[in-house]
This record gives sequence, structure tokens and C-alpha cells, in this order.
Amino acid sequence: MLEVSGLSVSYGRHLALSGAALSVARGEIVAMLGANGAGKSTLLKAVAGMVAAHPGARIELDGRSLVGQAPHHIVDRGLALVPEGRGVFGELSVEENLALGAYPSRARAAEARTRASVLDLFPRLGERLGQQVRTMSGGEQQMVAIGRALMSAPTILLLDEPSLGLSPLLSHELFQALRRIRDTGLGILLVEQNARLSLEIGDRAYVMATGVVSGGGSAAQALDDDAVQRAYLGAV
Amino acid sequence: MQLIVELLLFGLTLGGLYAMVAMGLTLQYGVARIMHLAYGEWLIAAAFGAYAAFTYWQVNPLITLALSLPVGFAVNWLVYQVLLSPLVRRTQAGPALEVDSLLATFGLLFVVQGVMVVLFGGSYHSYNFAAEAVNIGGALIARNRLIMFGLTVLAGLSIYLFLSRTRAGAAVRAVATAPGNAPLVGIDVRKVSAITFAVGGALVAAGGVLASMFLTFSASMGVIFTMKALIVIIMGGVGNMLGAVVAGLLLGMAETLVARLVDPGLTLAVNYLLFLSVLLWRPAGLFGRPVR
Ligand SMILES: Nc1ncnc2c1ncn2[C@@H]1O[C@H](COP(=O)(O)OP(=O)(O)OP(=O)(O)O)[C@@H](O)[C@H]1O
Ligand SMILES: [Mg+2]
Repeated sequence: MLEVSGLSVSYGRHLALSGAALSVARGEIVAMLGANGAGKSTLLKAVAGMVAAHPGARIELDGRSLVGQAPHHIVDRGLALVPEGRGVFGELSVEENLALGAYPSRARAAEARTRASVLDLFPRLGERLGQQVRTMSGGEQQMVAIGRALMSAPTILLLDEPSLGLSPLLSHELFQALRRIRDTGLGILLVEQNARLSLEIGDRAYVMATGVVSGGGSAAQALDDDAVQRAYLGAV
Repeated sequence: MQLIVELLLFGLTLGGLYAMVAMGLTLQYGVARIMHLAYGEWLIAAAFGAYAAFTYWQVNPLITLALSLPVGFAVNWLVYQVLLSPLVRRTQAGPALEVDSLLATFGLLFVVQGVMVVLFGGSYHSYNFAAEAVNIGGALIARNRLIMFGLTVLAGLSIYLFLSRTRAGAAVRAVATAPGNAPLVGIDVRKVSAITFAVGGALVAAGGVLASMFLTFSASMGVIFTMKALIVIIMGGVGNMLGAVVAGLLLGMAETLVARLVDPGLTLAVNYLLFLSVLLWRPAGLFGRPVR
């Protein structure tokens, strides 16, 4: 269970995140909607330890604080981030990217089993184990990024716009895969521009506007919400 | 025929040394992103260490060689932690790190060189170890050169296998090519950088002991080795191990050919000539990929 409250982040004098609060439990997909520049990526990076939070923030994973931890320690605690732009190792092969996913010590014991389930989830990766990742299509690279994150045996997975640049068909497939990942008991925080798709697979949803998080109710509720409809689903 | 075998043997053995020394520098520069100008000083320091141990206490240079690996590792690890890691922190490993580390290691160069001049003076030194000739296909070559060649091949192979076949090696390549992404999989970039830098130090120290067995050297010669290693890694493509090996062998061959067939005074000139022609032909180096 990931619990965040009072999380603020500034870039210089620009306050990008102001007292954000949210929670993600195991076995649920939580969608996070928000316009460009609202601070969604900043939120994920702050939770993953890649940008510093203001003092007083609370970020807890299963009751233990992650505040002030280095990003490489946070992965080892069971929180994996697939960042905007995927963050794969383009010069390395698929096989090596997956092996590096299991770099944290927590991942070693179950590595073979995790690897088998990742290849089961994304059969395409199994066919391309030797391929250099930078030569793969955008969708395939996204599979590598998610597969690599899963290799670290996380309890919470943060995804920053995984469907970016994917065809509708591929996005749909990807989201089906996310469902299956959730059903194995992981908690997923899903930042998406594709509001309809993410509200469809999400269990709960938050909405973010200029650094402030609101909502947190069920995704179905958000789908019916007038304001959400107008802002993100193109209703008039 | 005999001349050809001899040239080949001499070129390959010298080239093996260059390749090994360049591999260490390309690890330091390609992974830890430190342009280490005092690099060659450690080679000379190790050479003097082997010289002193052999001439004063009759210590077999092969023993010094075995010791040089952990000592070179430790010294360079300390250099990274004490001198360089504050710079890494301050520049957040950004572009400014290259300039800052250049200046810091330039200063270090004079310190190490100064200490060696004080201890050993400015004159040339050498000693005789395993210098008896071995007959290979009619050509005569000193046994120490063959020892050196065998060991550089061993070092090159182990590094290659480590980098390409192990998870830790993949982590090193991940830090070299995408340092910003490495923490996502739990890699401690600073730790990997420090260790890789130290491994580079172990390589150059071992190279120094090997060089001392068949070359004459002086306290001020470090810069030449730094420069040659730089030329080799740029020719091979920065950060590319295979490139460093091929370019190192190429440089060794070219120097040997020119020194034996034309004029020994031209060896330095052939460095630049080779360097320029490779870069005119392939600006990113033999194995480098052009930046997109
Ligand atoms: N490294 C940075 N330096 C300065 N400002 C930044 C930096 N990163 C983000 N910002 C600013 O912080 C705000 C939030 O950015 P963020 O990337 O979190 O938005 P986002 O919700 O992810 O947007 P998008 O949907 O476009 O990805 C923006 O105004 C952005 O310009
Ligand atoms: Mg974003």
C-alpha cells in the first residue's frame, strides 16, 4: 500500500506540486488524469525519489517512509517507475534489460518465475530477446519498460503515460496486460492522457490540476462526472 | 620472412600493452565520465614500483604485477572518492563534470609526477627481467614481451566477458550509455562509477608493471601514455572496448613498422598521422556510432 500526503515539489521558484495526497492499494489500478503541465510526472518522480520533495511530505510504502531515500533504494523497497519516455537501456538487448530489471536484491529469489510470467504477458519479448532495444518499435519498447519494471518484483508500479505513441489497438492490448498485472496483486498508479481507456480499466481515479490532486473516488463515478467529461472525455 | 614475423610480434606485443592501458581509460571516461589526465602517471608510478622492488629487494616483477592490481584499484578508488566525488556531486554528473575533472586531474598529474621526480630523479630507468630471447618462427623476441602479450590478452578477454556476459557487466554498460535511467532498476550510479574508475586504475597499474619489464621509462613520461591511451580510445570510439583493442593493436603495429623500417624518431608523428587519418575516415572512431 502506497500512501502519500502533503507532497509538494518546486522547480526553482515554480511550485509544480502542492500538498498532493493519494493512496494506491495492492490489487487496484488507480488512474490519474490531468492536463499537460498539471504536475503528474512530477508526482511520480517525487514518489520514486527522483526529485526532492519539500520537508513535511509523507510517502509511505507498507507503512515505511520513502522520503529522502535514493531512487535506487526505493526500487529495492518494492516501488517501480516506468517514466515518461520509457527509460529503457536502448543500447542493451531485451534480455539484458530484463536481467537488469532483476538487479535489486529483492528480485533475485523469484527471478526465473517472474521472467516466465513477464514473457507470458508479453510474448513478443520472448521472440526478440536478442534484439537491441533501441531498434524496436515504440510499442515493443514500452513492453520492455514495463517488463523490466515487473522484473524488480514490485508491490506498487507507477506508469507515466504508457500508451503515448501507441496505436489504439496496441494501447488496448497494453491495458489488457495491465489488468492481468493488477490481478496478480500489484497496485498500479496509471498516469494517462487517454482518459476513457484509463477510467475503463481503473478501479479509482484522481484528477490533477496545476499541482493539486482531487478526487479519489471510483473510476465509474469519475466517468459520469460532468467536469471530468468536459475536461477529459470531450463531452460538451 | 623472418623480418615480417619479427615486426608482427613486436607490433602485436606493443599494441597489446596500448590496448590494455586504453581499456582502463575508456572505462574511466566512458562509464565514470572522468577525463583522467593523471592516468599515465599511475602507469609510471607502477613501473617505478616494480623497478624499485626488483632492483632493491629482488622482488619478481610478476609478484609486483599481482600486487599492482589491488593497489591500483585502491589508489584510484580513493582518488575518485576524495578528489572527484565532490565534483560529481556539485555538477550532478552534468556536462560541467568533464571540465572540472579535467582541471582536478591535471593538478593531480603534477603532484604524482613531482613525487616521482623527488624519489627517482629525472633520468631514464630500466631493469633486466625475462629478457632472454625466444625463437618464434625464426624471429627472436624477449620473453618478457611474450609474458606481457599473454597477460594483456587475458585481461582484455576477462573484461570483455565480464561486460558482455554478467549482470554486473550489463549494469556497467547501462551506466555508460544511460546513466539517468540506471537508478530505475536499482543501480547505484555513483558506486558503479567509483568501482569502474578503480578497475581502470588497476588496469593502468598492471600495464605499468608490464611496461617496466621491457621499456625504459622516466618520471616525466606519464603524459605520453595518457596521450597515447587517449588517441587509442578516440580512434576506437569512446567507451568501446573492442574499439580500444583494435585501435591499440593498430597503433602498436604502426609504431613498430615506422620505428623499424623508417626512423625511430618518427614514432610520435605516426601517432598523430594514424589518429588524423582514422578520424577523417570515421569521425566517431572505428567502432563509434555517429551521434544522431
Ligand atoms: N525539470 C524541470 N525544471 C523546471 N520546471 C519543470 C521541470 N519539470 C517539470 N517542470 C514544470 O513543472 C510543471 C509540471 O510538470 P510535469 O512534467 O509534472 O507535468 P505533467 O502533468 O506530467 O504534464 P504532461 O501531461 O505534459 O506530461 C510544468 O509547469 C513544467 O513546466
Ligand atoms: Mg508528464
